[in-house]
Amino acid sequence: MSLPSAFIKNASAVAPVNDSFIDYASLRALVVDDYPGMRNALRLTLSNFGVVKVQLAANAAEALFHVKNKAFDFILCDFNLGDGRDGQQLLEELRHGNLISLETVFMMVTAESYYEKVAATAELAPDDYMIKPFSAEILCSRLESILLRKRAFREVYRHFLAQDLEAALVACDELMRSKPKYLVDALRFKGEILVTLGRFDEAETLYKQVIAMRAIPWARLGLARSLHLQKKDEPAEEELRDVLEHAPSMVAAYDLLADVCLAKKDGAAAQAALEKGVAISGKTVRRQQKLGEVAYTNGDLDAARTAFTNTLEKGRHSIFVTPADLGNLCRVQVEQGDLKAVADTLKKNKSSLQGSPEGKLVMAVSHSMMHNQAGNLQEAVKALDEAAVLRSTGTRCDPQMMLDLANVCMATGREGEADGIVAEVARNAHDSELLLAKARKIYDQAGRSDAGAAVLASATADIRKLNNEGVVLAQKGDYKTAVEKLLTACDEAPFNPRIIMNAVWVILKYIDQVGMDEKMMAIARKHLAEAERQAPGHSRISGLRLHLKDVEIRFGMNKT
Amino acid sequence: MNLDGTALYAALIHELKNNLGLLSMTLDSIPVQDEPQHDRSVGDARLLCQSVIDRLQQALLIYKADNQQLDPVIDAYSPHDLVHELMERTVALSRGRFRVETELASDVPAIWFFDRDLIEMALLNAIQNSLAYARSCVRIEASMLDGCLALFVRDDSDGYPDHILTSVATHTPYRSTGTGLGLQFAKMVIQAHENKGTLGELRLYNETGAVFCLILP
Repeated sequence: MSLPSAFIKNASAVAPVNDSFIDYASLRALVVDDYPGMRNALRLTLSNFGVVKVQLAANAAEALFHVKNKAFDFILCDFNLGDGRDGQQLLEELRHGNLISLETVFMMVTAESYYEKVAATAELAPDDYMIKPFSAEILCSRLESILLRKRAFREVYRHFLAQDLEAALVACDELMRSKPKYLVDALRFKGEILVTLGRFDEAETLYKQVIAMRAIPWARLGLARSLHLQKKDEPAEEELRDVLEHAPSMVAAYDLLADVCLAKKDGAAAQAALEKGVAISGKTVRRQQKLGEVAYTNGDLDAARTAFTNTLEKGRHSIFVTPADLGNLCRVQVEQGDLKAVADTLKKNKSSLQGSPEGKLVMAVSHSMMHNQAGNLQEAVKALDEAAVLRSTGTRCDPQMMLDLANVCMATGREGEADGIVAEVARNAHDSELLLAKARKIYDQAGRSDAGAAVLASATADIRKLNNEGVVLAQKGDYKTAVEKLLTACDEAPFNPRIIMNAVWVILKYIDQVGMDEKMMAIARKHLAEAERQAPGHSRISGLRLHLKDVEIRFGMNKT
Repeated sequence: MNLDGTALYAALIHELKNNLGLLSMTLDSIPVQDEPQHDRSVGDARLLCQSVIDRLQQALLIYKADNQQLDPVIDAYSPHDLVHELMERTVALSRGRFRVETELASDVPAIWFFDRDLIEMALLNAIQNSLAYARSCVRIEASMLDGCLALFVRDDSDGYPDHILTSVATHTPYRSTGTGLGLQFAKMVIQAHENKGTLGELRLYNETGAVFCLILP
């Protein structure tokens, strides 16, 4: 059996692998702290128990640089890193970018006991946290117990990393039987796998089992999430409201509550929940983004503006902020008639926007909106021309922004261009009621309702037809023709997540039927990656990824 | 940041606590030199530094607590790991001046539910106290008591003075200095641990020395 991390490898070279032996001398550690005195003290502390391979970093950027250049077994990171990203943002970036493995121990150092409440239920939690100040002995014991826990989990991790989730579940069960010390940890991991697999009812049962032992917060949140995913939103809301009554500072519960409220079409309650979450922890970029979107949909422009402004400010160093966030802020400012603010926003963010084609397009669209609103037709047209050039080279931004562009085109008499943009958005979102309704509104406001209906109908009809035909053919077992239909649909709507996912699905079924076709396999991989870009976290994606993995394993393509 | 009086004091305590943490790490790094005079002074300095840190940490937690009620973060932890962790720390603090013993009863389960940081803080406080009064031995034990996890710190000192035993037994406030404040903190910690209607309990008594006991439902 292969033992992945260095401390185990070296241990096996000198001594028989003892279940609890840890070779600290070979452990590669990274210490991240903005205060030089603390960095050195921590290095000394680590050397007290034999950890001598220590790299120091003063901030998140330095830490990222080191992590990209070499592997670490242990990262000890202060939550507060002065200016720039904080420790939690660093952790999110490391995990999202797959820069550290499940084997790497990440421990957060915090001066406040507040952080543990965040960490206890955070989607991306560190392996453990230390409250400052702490002693070498406590740090050493905690590190040891995490290393041993990870060692106990290595079978689970191995299957998980190979995306053999069924085997990972079996390994969790085995761990619970053989090492009761890790019973609750294994249940927690198992719950997350069940949710990934879409087996929400089993996840519900599992979380209830944990709660029967003790109503610990992450289990209650897990229960609420699995209820919500089964569309049982009433009991999910009840659970969350009760959790929050006892622990009002549990921010993750507000995020989930907002999702539940949105599912119940109660936008006002969703906004209220997110506002409470933001009041407790406003640094999380995705919470601010979501608040902005929900408030905007609710027509609460002031709240939307505050949230989008915060997104940009708090997210200055976050990987989760994109040009679309700037576009969102500009749109709100235009709708409020505060054109000076739009100009300021664009001026302030000019350099970051010019760094990417998408950013340039967002800037052009925002400029066009601003000048159009100000009645400055000449400037608006200039901005539209810029946008047209960018589009002609294949640059796109988020669909909402593309509709903004269509709106200005229409207002400046460029109807043909507007129709083309709307048709493209519609093709790529033929099943999104929200976007289609927004498109319709643009035509209604321009007094071209009939034209709009025609544009939308013809744009979606082709795609819908190709898609339906493909799906019906697949159901009849004619995967070959189904693949043809859906790949044609993909050519017409290259950013349409549903079409792309269907295409991947029929390709895999086709290979199941006729055997390996490496060219098709490559297309499936490319499309699956595009689907993930267009609809990150969509419930179908993990299933498709598993199916693809399964095909690769069956045809011996899993040697990479 | 606009700080009112209390918040300013809290921020100050916070900073002092962190600076003392650094001082404590520095003291920890002074090696034993086998010179009784020197080692004794360093040992005393470390203990004193640690107890000031603990006190500041408790003060901050009490300051943040709502209506004198701590808000614990309960999760599953291993009592074995806890006792091991405390033993390591106690050995380091005692620097060979005391015998440190541990005992885990065989019926103690692999996991129990509690707030690890709060419980550890309360027990370390009791350990500091024992290290100040014990003759030669400090003992950390875990066992089961009526379905609850009982964690003990025992020493071979003269035991707790009567007024402390009385005040714990009768739930009257202690004098809020020295041991009294630490005990008050321990009581807040243990009472924040509730399970299905049963509250945690702090017990103090004297046997061959002082016995400090936390009972976790």
